[in-house]
Amino acid sequence: MPILEIRDLRKTYRSASHELTVLHGVSLTLDEGDTCAIIGPSGSGKTTLLGLCAGLDDATSGSVKLGGQALEKMSQDERAALRNQLVGFVFQSFQLIPTLTAVENVLVPLELQGMSGRERDAEELLAQVGLEKRLDHYPLQLSGGEQQRVALARAFIHRPRILFADEPTGNLDADTSGPIVEMLLRLNREAGTALVLVTHDPALAARARRVVRMGGGTIIGEEEHASR
Amino acid sequence: MAPRRGLPRSLWSALFHRWTWRMAWRDSRSQRMRLAVFSMAIVSGIAALVSIHSLKSSMEDGIQGQAKALLGSDLMVSSRQAFKPEEEKSLTAGAIRVSHEAAFSSMLSFPANGSARLVQVRGLDGSYPFYGTVRTTPADAWARFRQEPGILVEPALLEQFSAKIGDKLKLGAKELPILGVVNKAPPRSNRFSGFAPEVYTGIDQVEGMGLLGGSSLSMRALHLELPATVDSKKRKESLRQNYPESSWRLETPDDRQETVGEALDRFQQFLGIIGLASLVLGAIGVAGAIHAHIARRVPVVAVLRCLGCPGNLAFGIYLAQAVALGLLGALLGAALGIGLHMGVLAAFRGSFPITVEIAPQWAVVARTTSAGFLVCCGFALLPLLRIRNISPAATLREGATVSGGRAAGWRAWPVYLLLVGALVLLARLNDPEGIRPYVLVAGLAAAFAVLFGVAKALMFLTRRLVRRSWPYLIRQGISNLHRPRSQTTLFLLSMGLGTFLLVTILLARNLLQEKLHAPDAAESPNVYLIDVQPDQITGVQDLLKKQNLPVLESAPMVTMRIASVRGVAVTELAKTDKIPRWLARREFRSTYRDYLNPTETISAGAWSKSIAGPDDPVPVSLEEKMAEDLGVKVGDAMSLDVQGVTVNAKITSLRHVDWSRFNLNFFMVFPPGALEGAPGFTVVTTKVPDSGSSGALQRELVGAFPNVSAIDLTQILETVREILSQISLVVTVLAGFTVLAGIPILVGTLLNGRDMRLRESVLLRTLGASSRQVRTILLVEFTALGVLSSLTGLVLAVAANAGLAVKVFKAGPWPDGWLLAGAFVAASGVAVIGGLLLSRGVSRHPPLEILRGGA
Repeated sequence: MPILEIRDLRKTYRSASHELTVLHGVSLTLDEGDTCAIIGPSGSGKTTLLGLCAGLDDATSGSVKLGGQALEKMSQDERAALRNQLVGFVFQSFQLIPTLTAVENVLVPLELQGMSGRERDAEELLAQVGLEKRLDHYPLQLSGGEQQRVALARAFIHRPRILFADEPTGNLDADTSGPIVEMLLRLNREAGTALVLVTHDPALAARARRVVRMGGGTIIGEEEHASR
Repeated sequence: MAPRRGLPRSLWSALFHRWTWRMAWRDSRSQRMRLAVFSMAIVSGIAALVSIHSLKSSMEDGIQGQAKALLGSDLMVSSRQAFKPEEEKSLTAGAIRVSHEAAFSSMLSFPANGSARLVQVRGLDGSYPFYGTVRTTPADAWARFRQEPGILVEPALLEQFSAKIGDKLKLGAKELPILGVVNKAPPRSNRFSGFAPEVYTGIDQVEGMGLLGGSSLSMRALHLELPATVDSKKRKESLRQNYPESSWRLETPDDRQETVGEALDRFQQFLGIIGLASLVLGAIGVAGAIHAHIARRVPVVAVLRCLGCPGNLAFGIYLAQAVALGLLGALLGAALGIGLHMGVLAAFRGSFPITVEIAPQWAVVARTTSAGFLVCCGFALLPLLRIRNISPAATLREGATVSGGRAAGWRAWPVYLLLVGALVLLARLNDPEGIRPYVLVAGLAAAFAVLFGVAKALMFLTRRLVRRSWPYLIRQGISNLHRPRSQTTLFLLSMGLGTFLLVTILLARNLLQEKLHAPDAAESPNVYLIDVQPDQITGVQDLLKKQNLPVLESAPMVTMRIASVRGVAVTELAKTDKIPRWLARREFRSTYRDYLNPTETISAGAWSKSIAGPDDPVPVSLEEKMAEDLGVKVGDAMSLDVQGVTVNAKITSLRHVDWSRFNLNFFMVFPPGALEGAPGFTVVTTKVPDSGSSGALQRELVGAFPNVSAIDLTQILETVREILSQISLVVTVLAGFTVLAGIPILVGTLLNGRDMRLRESVLLRTLGASSRQVRTILLVEFTALGVLSSLTGLVLAVAANAGLAVKVFKAGPWPDGWLLAGAFVAASGVAVIGGLLLSRGVSRHPPLEILRGGA
């Protein structure tokens, strides 16, 4: 059963003087537990596509179904609720809340579900990413690699059915990004989560079962691997 | 989609959910000191409101509880003439107790040292006051002076003339021993007596002095105690109906309460306006703080939205912070306000006309603090509304994460309405009658709109004016004024409004001072010699010349009443409310002369120096405000009752009179030849250089002309100045409060600007700009902002001052140029220096530190 279905997705930015279409009728389907990397040059529409898939932005036309729910029919708050139930995120710039400690950052998705007293789960997850001694550190007291590991723990704490990762190693050096990728894929595998990965890195993309190549706002090619 | 359990989605439930407050607390971790500074912005506004309204309430409580003690009786009837026996019988019918009073102004001399002073002599019988207490030393003195010859005086009088109980004093031809001093006096019965110390003696003593009939400032009164079943107000009304022609003054405790209350109200309303302005200034500061805070929290809101946080919940987190911020400021303000209220009560206890309990007015504290808190939250809501527009997509774009939401749009309108409503409510709390509260709020809104308009115009102009040919640093500095996330609007609003309010208060103080010192001018008299009889004029003038004192004015005075206007009796006009009642009853003192005083100018018609013919109506010049009240114009006919003789007059001119200069001014002035035959007296004015000359003059005068009274304005003005300097002190304290409110706002605005420019400046430094270049860019930007905000604030203050000067102080509309220049330099300087000081870190920190921190 598909966790994500997008049909003929179009996104146009309008200003007073001109229009700019960044996505031209993109269609894509992703099954539960599947992994898909979206690659392409800068400005090809990768991040825009990711944002639309997660309901972070509104498409100009077309449809997105996430977990069987049509996003275009939902209000912003309904989409936020759906994300909280189904989606995990990992961003290039980590996007941790600077005033929360590592453990508090990890707990936010659960707290938004109204759950409390789950500190032990967060600590275990942080231990899995090697941060058992950095639980009470604030993001500014952590290195880039450590911040991204906190972001990984936050992405998996509420056991999402799909994870969107936007250039997860884009801000990290080669030595740091290797372990992060391994962690991301391990957690993904263990939780059976579907993964949508936007990246410039061909090596990282090659770790996904499907690789979608974008250019000029449309899908220009797709590769599938037997299993990963 | 099936409903999901989780955190509340409505704003109302979110605000009462623990997580909202926990998140608000966590989110404030790195910002608490900065937010606390901002909460200080409303402390002074709320403190001012709480103290002013508490003071008002304490006074009202005092007045309410002591209404009868304020008058001392249930009804007081006073008159310039003695009551006829049948009138007295009718007036006192049904009264339980009656006291008679005969009062007049006279020179009291101290034979021991030859000094003299004008006093208000009150001759009493019976057991007045019936309500309230009189305290004397010795304790039985108040009972004794009605049974034996003697006099009671105020303690200050004994001190001034180094006299003691038992010493002899001289009033007219009579010598009386001092029986005691009055520590707590009975209520005053004559308005004039407020300026002269009162002495008390038995009414039989007064009758024997021979001064009562000759004094122009004499008065007779009946103090009545009525049975509990008789309503004083109804009794007063029935007496008015039974004696419509009488010129008696009838006063009930309610009237006295109203008079005292009105005087206090005016002053408190003025202070209330300053308090309200201070609160608005503080609330704008808080709004600015929230605006800057939200701009910094856009990435956090975007992340929360991305992770599934409902819009209302995200809004609730920051609303909770604003509420906490406002509550902290409000509580501190309330505490400070209570302290101020109690402090003022304790410090000025002796100056109040009533006994006031020194205790907090909790209901008032709660009401004003809540209202101030609501205004503060209302202002904070405006920037908070932007949270609803922050898109979760901002997490995907680095640049977008700090761009902030779009304008609040239509959602802001209910908030604007709420704010206007809350401000009107607060203004009406301060001044419940008429359109003044609305004018005040409209004025503040207009000032707000002008500053907002100037900010937008500045951004528009700089966008178009800057040329590539300009030096880079200037171009960069000026361009900062219109670039995205510029601080122009907030800076102009807070600095401009602050400058406007502060300068308006300072200019109002100047107007007050100007009024106080107007009598110091060389041509203004400071001693009035009254009741000079026609055969004494030359003698009095010679006495002045002998003492090297100038005769400034010598004006004959004749008393008269208005009988009719354009052929209609004034009593008829007053009945139909076509003219104020006082005009129909008042006994006017008029003069005749063929010249205008320096304090008069003709505003309509022509000045008449003589009478055309014996059968023609007598020309009369009316003071313009009186003419307005009477509804008459040049050419209208009037008839006057000059002590039983009807004089037909025609209004030939209207005069504008500057009453503040203490010259001899009159409502009605006639040409010579019209009133010479009528009984009257002359007032001579002079100017003494010091109190010694005044004392010498009064000693000579009391010996040579015992019937002539000297009113020493320097002593009266000293009393008035003392009271007004206390008022001025309170105004200064409140102005200081406004300055205190302004400091966190200025610091906040500058900190906000610093945040905005920090990253940009660091990038410039990374690209090779020197610290000096970065500072120059900031200097150009802050100079432009400082100069324009001070200029706009000053223009608004000048407009407000012109309104105050013309409408309230009756003065010229142009303020002191030096004060304006000083205020301009100070306000611009503070903005520039403050901006540069707070931006020091921009050039001191290594670029990498800031770039890493920013990431």
